[in-house]
Amino acid sequence: MNETQLIALVIAGDRLAGRTLYDTHAPRVYSLAYRLSGDAEKAREFTQDTFIRAFSRLSQFRGDAAFSTWLHRIVVTVVSNARRSELRMAREVELDEAHSIEVSAPEAEPDLKECISRAVDNLSEAYRMTLIMHDIEGYTHAEIAGILGVPEGTCKSRLSAARAQLRQELAAFKE
Amino acid sequence: MDDNRFDELIRDLPRSFNAPPEPPLDEMWTTIEDAHFNAPVPISTRRGLTSRAPWLAAAAALVVGVGIGHYLPSGAKPAETAPSPSAIGENPASPTSDTSAVADVYRDQTNRYLGQAAALLISLPAKDANGRTDAAFATRATDLLVTTRLLIDSPAAAQDPRLHSLLEDLELVLVQIARLRSEKNKSDLDLIHQAVEQGDVLSRLNSAVATTQSSE
Repeated sequence: MNETQLIALVIAGDRLAGRTLYDTHAPRVYSLAYRLSGDAEKAREFTQDTFIRAFSRLSQFRGDAAFSTWLHRIVVTVVSNARRSELRMAREVELDEAHSIEVSAPEAEPDLKECISRAVDNLSEAYRMTLIMHDIEGYTHAEIAGILGVPEGTCKSRLSAARAQLRQELAAFKE
Repeated sequence: MDDNRFDELIRDLPRSFNAPPEPPLDEMWTTIEDAHFNAPVPISTRRGLTSRAPWLAAAAALVVGVGIGHYLPSGAKPAETAPSPSAIGENPASPTSDTSAVADVYRDQTNRYLGQAAALLISLPAKDANGRTDAAFATRATDLLVTTRLLIDSPAAAQDPRLHSLLEDLELVLVQIARLRSEKNKSDLDLIHQAVEQGDVLSRLNSAVATTQSSE
């Protein structure tokens, strides 16, 4: 049974078809959600949210793009929305705490792994997403372009800029 | 840090950066299955409904056609065939005014509909304390549901993703209200209120009404 037939069955309410579709795509969706969030609980929630949304909107899937591309657009949107709210809340907390903290203890020298994580997290959302999808999750530029809705050339230039920024941030690190 | 070392770090990123654990597939599926397949009120999509009741689509198209015809200026008729260059020269404003008139009709209809939907949601009882729900709510919801589905397919919604999303959420809520007629109980009403709250439907509705009114 091909994916189009599975989708038609899910729309008709067939849960076995739903599970089959889920089993095919969930590992990759979860993996991306985890890479982007760095948290198992959040990755679980993002994956669930992605499939719940996808199933409820399955009748809107017209097959113009591959189903996996359509599905990944949803997970990227879900994660980005959550990340934006988190960053907004973090900024508000920082502003609140800025007045109350007078002296902070000096931080221990971070190791290379921490430095890399920090450097990746410091990238802008578009650069971070592109770097994680390409260099870490192994998506092709064509796939990323389809998911993020940008030309392939934009993906390549974003990746190049992300690596340059990463290199700059890591340049000062002494091993 | 030299180039080789940096390239090595990049190659190592899949192992060093947020390496995912084994996905809890069964656990996640249980939640997805409950939310989608075991939902108390099945999500009725436009496509599903029109495919089950093709007469509704035809009737809806007729209503919209009559509505547009009613609202169009008497001299403005949609072109059935492409006009000849000479015809365009004779009446250059005609096609543009037709399009504009149709857009105006959709905007007016959308504005009126949003107001009616907001009124219905606001007047919905908070709790079905008497064990009965006024059938008038279900009837009004059914009427609004037809308009909702027409508007979802309208150019107004096609050009405005936020309106489209709001209409889809409203469709779900109205389906639930329409079912109250046959399934009168408190838990249904609670579910409707939950759907309205979770989707932030009322505030989005108010915002949409304000937007369409300001664009007039």
